[in-house]
Amino acid sequence: MTGEQSKRVRALELIAAKIRRNVLDICMQRGGYAGQGVALADIAACLYFDEMRSDDKGWFHDRFVLSNGHDAIMTYGALAEHGSYSLEELRSYNEDGTKIDQSPIEGQLGFEITAGSLGQGPSQAAGIAWGERHQGSDKRVYCLFSDGELQEGNVWEAAMFAGHQKLSNMVYIIDNNDMQATGSTTDVLGVEPVPEKFEAFGCAARRVNGNDIPEILDAFAEAKHIKDKPYVMVCDTRLFAGIDCLQEALPTAHYVAAHSADWQAGLSEINTTLAALAD
Amino acid sequence: MLLAERIIDGAPFDEISFDLCSRRPDVIMMSADLSKYTQLNRVKKELPDQHLDVGMAEQNLISVAAGVAKAGYVPVATTFACYATRRAYDQMMICMGTGPKTSIVIGFTPGIANPARIHHQAAEDLGMIRAIPNTTVIDPMDVTEFKQALDVAVDLPGLVYLRGHRGDTPRLLDPERYTFELGKTCTLREGANVGVVATGHATQWALEASEILQKDGFDHSLLHVPTIKPVNESEIVEFCFAHDQIVTVENHNIVTGLGSLVTEVVANVGRGPRITRLGIPDVWAPGGTLAHIRKELALDADALASKIRGVCQ
Repeated sequence: MTGEQSKRVRALELIAAKIRRNVLDICMQRGGYAGQGVALADIAACLYFDEMRSDDKGWFHDRFVLSNGHDAIMTYGALAEHGSYSLEELRSYNEDGTKIDQSPIEGQLGFEITAGSLGQGPSQAAGIAWGERHQGSDKRVYCLFSDGELQEGNVWEAAMFAGHQKLSNMVYIIDNNDMQATGSTTDVLGVEPVPEKFEAFGCAARRVNGNDIPEILDAFAEAKHIKDKPYVMVCDTRLFAGIDCLQEALPTAHYVAAHSADWQAGLSEINTTLAALAD
Repeated sequence: MLLAERIIDGAPFDEISFDLCSRRPDVIMMSADLSKYTQLNRVKKELPDQHLDVGMAEQNLISVAAGVAKAGYVPVATTFACYATRRAYDQMMICMGTGPKTSIVIGFTPGIANPARIHHQAAEDLGMIRAIPNTTVIDPMDVTEFKQALDVAVDLPGLVYLRGHRGDTPRLLDPERYTFELGKTCTLREGANVGVVATGHATQWALEASEILQKDGFDHSLLHVPTIKPVNESEIVEFCFAHDQIVTVENHNIVTGLGSLVTEVVANVGRGPRITRLGIPDVWAPGGTLAHIRKELALDADALASKIRGVCQ
């Protein structure tokens, strides 16, 4: 790794740590999907602060489609760092009457679609990618969805369509955390081998360590060189990856309540990480 | 506003879609392997950039179309009404119905206008879609109205659901003298005694019955209600409360469709006329030709005329 690349990775690691801190800060108020937000912080740092291009209005030129609504916490954590939301307003997450939905509705800043009915993001992203290409735009479309969503048939209809239409301006990012609402994805209904399945549908696919920033950046770079195929990053992650004490204490916590005794230990650890990275 | 003679169009949507796409380059006609059967041939052949087929996958048809809308186009997703609504209801509601982007779905062969019984028939589509907030639901009576309603739909926000006409569909309304307006009802016969309220294809059936009743000297009125949502409550109330008896006629299950809608509107006012709902009487409709199915369900002209006359006895 060159000095420049090392600096770039270091900067993204710092942003990822800040996103993790934001996720804890938001979720500890009234509970939330903290494990997912923490685990996705490295992908979010790379996506929002390196991969997606900015427009001239302080927003993004490229388009991000969140499919699994509960991963909205990742976007909130990242957009707080981006300056699009204040932490103060995000702390109303999960509060009655808030505009900061746990699973947002189309039109909320940062959310292109209504994301709560699982399995519907990949096809909408494919429609957006088809439309952008159709009008000669160079915009790239990124869609995040989860391994649990792979159990929805609509996802595979989307993959078949995207492969057939050769949507090389689209990247699917799969949060492959082997966890869904009622247990391990492996136990509920196994979805592996995921990359091979997408390849069979006409996509280029690669397994990525979803918590390794150089590997994530390398995959995003590779995606741009793939011709005539959508690109699928099967990102292996685990809940709370990046905050060891929470990963150990809450390895299967799909949702963490506000009264959890673990928040302070998690905050303490991420603050230590932040201090080390800031040096 | 009615033509002196009924004109039969062999493939109405072929010309309607081609004409629209020729005028509106932002419109994308979409199919799910049924373009031939919805008569979407000319756009596919002559304006291929404005046609997108997603294969036999209706959930994908609707959700990809929602994405196409979010890219700045006006998608018109076409398939049979049964598949659009039953197979992809959640996608219609969530992907199209919760946002502001114009997203049009045309459901062809609605109600009993399909010979394959149960699975190809859609007797509940109007009820399903009108239950989604902020949507537009239109059931045009003929080809003239279908064309005009689609022209209006492409400039409406959010999810717009239209029932489509295909095949040997009569053209009854004179396009020189009729203009579709969203929410506007249309009085086709003015009279007293019994007020008939109809929508969509069933307005043609009601007109057939009306001709019989007129010959018999039976006084009645006929109101066509093409816009199911947003419903024009005041015009329906005004019509219904001007009659002692109301009969609704629809190509739909009498549960949740036009009959239910008129009943809801009248009940909101209270002390209204008695309402008799005619349509598919909450049973599985038989298959076969439309004439056969109508006969079996007592929706043919003679049976309808008899039932309308009978409400006064």
